[in-house]
Amino acid sequence: MNKILKLALVLFLVCAVTAGILGGINELTKDRIAEINRLATIAAYSTVLKADGYDLVEADMSDFPTVDKISRATNGAGHVVELTVSGAQGLITIAVGVAPDYTCTGISIIDHSETSGLGANAAAESDVGRNFRAQFVGADESVALSKFGGAIDALSGATITSNAVTTAVATAIRAVMALG
Amino acid sequence: MNIKNQFKEGLITNNPVLVQQIGMCATMAITTTLFNGIGMGLSVLIILTCCNVVISALRKIIPNEIRLAIFVVVIAGFVTIVDLLLQAFIPALSKSLGVFIPLIVVNCIIIGRAEAFCQKNTVGASFFDGIFQGFGYTCVLIIMCVARELLGSGRFGGGLIDVANGFRFTLDGTGSGVQIFPAEYGASILNLPFGGFITLGMLIAVMQYALKKSKKKKELAARLVLEEAERKEAEA
Repeated sequence: MNKILKLALVLFLVCAVTAGILGGINELTKDRIAEINRLATIAAYSTVLKADGYDLVEADMSDFPTVDKISRATNGAGHVVELTVSGAQGLITIAVGVAPDYTCTGISIIDHSETSGLGANAAAESDVGRNFRAQFVGADESVALSKFGGAIDALSGATITSNAVTTAVATAIRAVMALG
Repeated sequence: MNIKNQFKEGLITNNPVLVQQIGMCATMAITTTLFNGIGMGLSVLIILTCCNVVISALRKIIPNEIRLAIFVVVIAGFVTIVDLLLQAFIPALSKSLGVFIPLIVVNCIIIGRAEAFCQKNTVGASFFDGIFQGFGYTCVLIIMCVARELLGSGRFGGGLIDVANGFRFTLDGTGSGVQIFPAEYGASILNLPFGGFITLGMLIAVMQYALKKSKKKKELAARLVLEEAERKEAEA
């Protein structure tokens, strides 16, 4: 019995010290991390929809399970929808700007783990990436890949990624329409 | 065990990836750009060194029955510290390595060294073991990154070297790298996880060949000495 108590005590002490140190480090870094995340979000949002601020919209999004959140631009330029969809390798987090006339004003890929050189081109700051994303400007909710009768050219070798992005744009526009 | 020997072990004769063949998952997954490789290698080096020192300092008071639980708590603690610091100070690296930083908790290099080395050796020896094993790991990552990046997309130093605005080093992950030959001519298969397996396999093969050869050479030298001694004895 004593043996077990001693083991538990040692393990507890090691855990307690570790937890204490981690708490301290978290306290030191959390403001910085929150600020970095806020700036990253603003940077991503302003590339899809020009505005000086964004207010989160409270709405029931149970019909659109891939939509994470919708923000309304304070200057009335429209909405920014943030979605998480399944790509070829993992989840893709994407921001889609939607104008008041329900067309897409631009997209930005915030986070992804697509294949480097293929699907990752969708998010790349290269001509291929910029051209791919520029195709979505002005698209409406019927947007689709050319393979499925739409106007969007898929990235070569990355149909799954391209389709995921296209579907996300269509979902974003429908979600804003549902807001009314 | 002296420092020189430990250095040789970490880098060559007992290299964590090429000889012990542990910690392979992250090795194959993240070696796509030099930025990732150096970042991951240094993160592991720092975590490994800290864990080695703490575990070997505690080795007399850690009860044998729960040593693995304590190792995991210590390792997870250091990994979380490094993860938080990276998020706060080098966000681009944290973003590009993604889940592989938290996954260092279950990287067997660290728990393997704790189990095989630190619980039997002094704090000083464990400290150097951490540095040298981490350095050996970093070297392998760098070789793999350079090979995969160059042959796969014709680039060198992606994410780390920025040539668009004059030649400079960046830590924000935006550097495009030096384009050695056009990306279209690269074997982009090397950028895929599959290419990681092939590159790693080649490296291990080269390492095994070199180790075997040097072993044979040593055996040959030993035999010559022996024969010489026998001959002299016979003459006498």
